[in-house]
Amino acid sequence: MIIATGATLFVPPLENVDLKNIFTLRSVTDAFAIREMVDMGQVKKAVVVGGGFIGLEVAENLKHRGVDVTLFELVPHILPPFDEEIALYAQNHMKEKGVNIITGEKVTGFEGDSEGVKRVITSVGNFEADIVILSIGVRPNVSLAKSAGIELGVTGAIKVNKFMETNIKDIYAAGDCVENVNLVTGKAAWYPMGSTSNKTGRIAGQNCVSDLKDSLDGVLGTTIVKLFDISAAKTGLSERDAIKEGFEVETVLVPMDDRAHYYPGHKNIITKLIADKKTHRVLGAQIVGEGVTDKPIDTIATAITFGADLEGLSKLDLAYAPPFSTAMSSTLVAANVLLNKENQKVKGINPSKLPEKIVSKEANVVDVREEVEFFISAIPESVNIPINELESRCGEIDKDGKTVILVCKVGRRAYTAYKKLKGLGYKDVKILEGGSTAYPYEMK
Amino acid sequence: MAEKFINARGLQCPGPIVELFKTVKSSESGDVITIEVTDCGFKKDIAAWCKKTGNELVNLEENDGAVKAVIKKL
Repeated sequence: MIIATGATLFVPPLENVDLKNIFTLRSVTDAFAIREMVDMGQVKKAVVVGGGFIGLEVAENLKHRGVDVTLFELVPHILPPFDEEIALYAQNHMKEKGVNIITGEKVTGFEGDSEGVKRVITSVGNFEADIVILSIGVRPNVSLAKSAGIELGVTGAIKVNKFMETNIKDIYAAGDCVENVNLVTGKAAWYPMGSTSNKTGRIAGQNCVSDLKDSLDGVLGTTIVKLFDISAAKTGLSERDAIKEGFEVETVLVPMDDRAHYYPGHKNIITKLIADKKTHRVLGAQIVGEGVTDKPIDTIATAITFGADLEGLSKLDLAYAPPFSTAMSSTLVAANVLLNKENQKVKGINPSKLPEKIVSKEANVVDVREEVEFFISAIPESVNIPINELESRCGEIDKDGKTVILVCKVGRRAYTAYKKLKGLGYKDVKILEGGSTAYPYEMK
Repeated sequence: MAEKFINARGLQCPGPIVELFKTVKSSESGDVITIEVTDCGFKKDIAAWCKKTGNELVNLEENDGAVKAVIKKL
C-alpha cells in the first residue's frame, strides 16, 4: 500500500473566515471559482494573505486583470525562505508593478454579510475587499497514516526512509504528505513541491512492485517563481538557515548579465552564493532578476548535489556563445568573487548591513559612479567621487576615520576604487556587494 | 530645433547614460535626441533621469532587446 494523501492549504482560525468569497487556491476548481468572479466584474479590490509563491502568483495575476491588490505578509518581507536582500528586491519589483504589499503585519479577521466578505481586519486597520485569497501555507494530510499507527517525523509529515517505507512493513508513503531529507544538512525537512513529490512517488511505486530497490537520499528545496518581469530562484540553504544550522558562512552578492552585454536582449540577474567558510563547500544560492535564473540555479543545485566546493564551481565547463551566456558565466563569477573575499583580495559588505551603518554614521559611503548616475538615484548620506577623479579628490575621504564603503552600479568600478584606495594607504575599505543594482532599501 | 541621434548599442553601463548626458548638455532647449541602447539597465535609468531633470521622455520602446528612447530637452 502507498499512502499519497498530499497536503492541504492551511486555513487559520480567524474571525469570520468562512464568509463567502474567501478562497484558498490549491485545486483547479478553486482557480475557476476565483476566475469566474473576476470575469463577472465582481472584483475591484482583492486582499491576498501570505507572501509565499501562491500568494504572489495570485497577486500578479489579479493585477493583470485590473484588480486593485493588497498583499499581507506576517514576516518582514515576502518570499520568507529567501534572504532579506533578495526578497526585498522582488518585493520592490512587485510594488513597482502596483501591488500594495504590507509586511510585518497581521490579518486578524473579516467582516461581511450574506453576500460575502466586505472588509479585512488587520493590525494596521481595515481594508475593503471583494475577494480574499488565503495562502498562508500547506499542512501534510496525515490523519489516515496517524490512525494506522504510522510514525510522523519532526516536521509533522509522514516519516519514511530513503526507500519511501514507513515504520509499518509493506506500507509506503509518497508525495506531499511525506517528510524529506535536506541534502546539505542531512536533517529532516518538508518540501511539499511537485518536483520532490514526483520523485518520491516514482520510488514508492517501483519499490512496491519490484525487487530493484530505488531510493532518494534527499533534496535541496530548489524552487523558482515568476513575478511580473522578474523571477526568483533558490536552492540549498539560505544564509539565515546556514547560520542557524551552525555553519560559519561566507556569502557574496553579484549582479551580472545573463548573456553577453553586447547581445541585444540580455538581462540582469543577481546571484547570491552561500558557502562554508572552512571547507568552501557550496551550501546554497539564490538568484533574482529579469534575466534567466533557472539555468544558473539548476547548475548550482547540481553542483551542491555532488558536493562541490567554490573552487570546483568556479571552473565548471559551461556552454557559452553570446546569445546564451557570458564567457565567464554569472555562476562562475560569483564563485570567483566569493573566493576573492575568502583570499582577502577584497572586502565586501552585504546591502542588508548598510542601512544600520548609515543611521549610526559608522560608515563613509563613497559612490564612484558618474555624476549623472549618482544624480538619478543614490544611497542616502553617500558622497559622489567618480572613479576617474578618485586619486585627485581622495583628500575628501578621511583616511583613518570610519570604514569607507565604495559603491558603483554592479561592483566592478567599486573594486577598481578599492584597489586604488588600498594603494593609497587606506586600511578600512569595503565594497558594497551588488552595488546600486542590488540595493533594495531607500535611495535618494 | 535640432534632431540628434546617439548610437549607444553595445555600450555597457555607464556608457549610454553618460553619452546622453553629454549630448543633452550641449543641446538647446527643444532639441530632440534619439538614443538606441542595448544595455539592460538603461530603461529604468532614462525614465528616472527624465523625471528628475524635467526633460521630456517623448517615447520609450523596446524592440528585439534594444531600447530606443526619444528625449526633448527642457
